[in-house]
Amino acid sequence: MSDVKRTPEGFVVAFPPLSGAPPFAPDPVIDAYKKDVDRGLIVENLKLTVDERLRQLVSVQGFAAEVRRAGRAAFGD
Amino acid sequence: MPAAPPSETDFEGLLRALVSSEVEFIVIGGVAGKAHGSPRLTVDLDVVYARSAENVGRLTSALAPLRPYLRGAPPGLPFCFDAETVRRGLNFTLRTTLGDLDLLGDVAGGGGYGALLPHSRELEMFGLRCRCLELDKLIEVKRAAGRPKDLEAIAELEAIREERRKRGL
Repeated sequence: MSDVKRTPEGFVVAFPPLSGAPPFAPDPVIDAYKKDVDRGLIVENLKLTVDERLRQLVSVQGFAAEVRRAGRAAFGD
Repeated sequence: MPAAPPSETDFEGLLRALVSSEVEFIVIGGVAGKAHGSPRLTVDLDVVYARSAENVGRLTSALAPLRPYLRGAPPGLPFCFDAETVRRGLNFTLRTTLGDLDLLGDVAGGGGYGALLPHSRELEMFGLRCRCLELDKLIEVKRAAGRPKDLEAIAELEAIREERRKRGL
């Protein structure tokens, strides 16, 4: 496992820093959707390593599959 | 005979199959978004693969044991996932014994493997060294795809960009 670089605040430095303005123009439709984004979840994810983020995906996927199985068992297909 | 649909996608298994056969590919889509910090759940692995004859050969050999079949197609079609099929096609949405895999020879707004390579970065994913599309390019290709279902995901990726910028990440 490679060494993990972190900021003093605990954020993982997984990629080179983003520099400058985004290379795409603002889009009012996307900006409207952005208001509903849960930034708290994003901030917490930025404290995880890439590997931890992916293992979290596997864990959530397993949970979703279990809920589906339970639903089928309780209510049928 | 198509593979039975697994209840979950084994992302690690799919990546391991590709990496262990030295397939040249770049992870894009939801798994790439997850690597960048997205909280969004995704159910398939999307990769852009190099179209060289050597790489297509490695790709088809790597996936053959996973019995790839066209996702959503009725069983019994004379579909054979071999180098000739890949050469004649471009983008394939597949179901395998390890889950759903989208193989893309070209993506809207991004092009093929060679065009995306400078916009990708090698990362450790499940302990495997894989190339992943960088955040700005991921946003660009999602925007270029123009699918209404992507709007929330794009907003989330742009929010990730803003949160990273705020923190100098």
